Amino acid sequence: MKALVAGLFGLLLSALSTHATQAADCGQQLDARQRREIRTPRHLLVFAPSPAPLALGRHFGLDIVVCPRAGASLPLALKVDADMPAHRHGMNYRATVQTLGEGRYRAEGLFLHMPGRWRLLFDLSADGRLERLSHEVDLE
Amino acid sequence: MSFVCTRRRIAGLVLSMLALLTAAVSAQKIEFSAAERSRILTHGPWPPAPALDPGNAWAGRAEAIALGQRLFFDTRLSPDARLACASCHQPALAFADGRARSLGRVELERNAPSLWNAVHERWLGWDGAADSLWSQALRPLLEPRELGSNAAQLRRWLAQDRDLACRWAASFGTLADDDKVLLVQAAKALGAFVGSLQSAATPFDHFRDALAADDGPAQARYPASAQRGLRLFVGRGRCHLCHSGPRFSNGEFADIGAGFFVRPGQVDPGRHGGIQDLHRSEFTLLSHWADAPGETALKTRHVSPQHRNFGEFKVPSLRNVALTAPYLHDGRVPTLAAMVRHYSELDLDRLHADGERILEPLRLSGDEQADLQAFLRSLGDAGARRWQRPVLPTCRR
Repeated sequence: MKALVAGLFGLLLSALSTHATQAADCGQQLDARQRREIRTPRHLLVFAPSPAPLALGRHFGLDIVVCPRAGASLPLALKVDADMPAHRHGMNYRATVQTLGEGRYRAEGLFLHMPGRWRLLFDLSADGRLERLSHEVDLE
Repeated sequence: MSFVCTRRRIAGLVLSMLALLTAAVSAQKIEFSAAERSRILTHGPWPPAPALDPGNAWAGRAEAIALGQRLFFDTRLSPDARLACASCHQPALAFADGRARSLGRVELERNAPSLWNAVHERWLGWDGAADSLWSQALRPLLEPRELGSNAAQLRRWLAQDRDLACRWAASFGTLADDDKVLLVQAAKALGAFVGSLQSAATPFDHFRDALAADDGPAQARYPASAQRGLRLFVGRGRCHLCHSGPRFSNGEFADIGAGFFVRPGQVDPGRHGGIQDLHRSEFTLLSHWADAPGETALKTRHVSPQHRNFGEFKVPSLRNVALTAPYLHDGRVPTLAAMVRHYSELDLDRLHADGERILEPLRLSGDEQADLQAFLRSLGDAGARRWQRPVLPTCRR
């Protein structure tokens, strides 16, 4: 019995440490100068734009890595968009997202056409839930 | 004694003159805040880096530009030799036509935009239905209400005109048997010519460069009213949100409450229809007709119509704006003063209900409207209405 408990405890520790390692390593392959991250209790999302830095009136893509936290799963689907809440409009272009496996994605076709505050929006669909993550960007 | 006195008088006089000069300079030079300065600098430098018509292997080539110039000005491009591209894009009118709505074989629905700096546009036409100069050129070329041309007409003309045939051969070699190939080649030559039209630096550009260099005396040469108008433009007016960058346009589309009825019962869908036309076209940057478009095709791949695109029209470049009246997609605004008044007295009820919320009536005083006009006039290149057709070297093959 003690051995079973110890075994289960060991498994739990191992799982937790795997998640911790994953979170610590999440997106490390992305350009450190451009890398940004968004944390929620369930996921850590790391992204880097290319070409960088983000510029007004230029198409760009995002390299994205999503790492699950606290027992969450990798998203089944990821949508990427952007909007300007203060102006009540979004982008004039529809971004596409390619799934590369192991939590890696490539979004293409983003375009910010106006100076001011934008939100980059990431809709993650995992474990039957939809989670929206956002990151603010100020463009001159 | 008198010598010392004279020296003192001269010194005093010089100091007084310097003080007067400084006062005059400072009187004409507005101190812009760091935020204003930063915004102003984004409107330059001008001219920008050279650009080429995307997906057009002949863009920038001298022989194609020369051929395009011949095609552009010759009425034999239309079957009855009545119309040329230059009928609606006249050099003496800054490559526009000065009419509210252009006159093809009938009066059309839209105003002819100036072609200056068109090579820097992301989308062509008021609805952005074309993604390159060459694909845009095909539209009036083939449209029955405009030039109404066709490959047979082009072949007839080429058979009769040795100079034209020589220039065609210099660019494209042997005459293609395929009609579509022939028409796309004509369009690419036209795109090469139109792509060569770039206007020169303006009084605003000299001011902007002086601001960047912290050159106070040079800044003071820019009229005070234009400086006040510029402050309104990047400040309270928030005009720079859409009229951004060196071309004073973000190259996208907006609803400014202009109305979009062509006639009772008929609407111009603007950008919404433009995107649909683009997707229907077989001559886009995604087609096999485009020569190595590379990343320039990203816009075409990712654009899709949204409900708010109804009634949106291109945000026009403001370079040479004072030279290209009347204004808006259907030329309904006759003067620059009326255009400024439109924004001053904007009727919010005329804006798309689910559209963006950026515009509000500016409620400008008479002096402020005059200042904004002074600034807009300073975006004009004096040479933009004096373009002289280059004499082409003789074609020998």
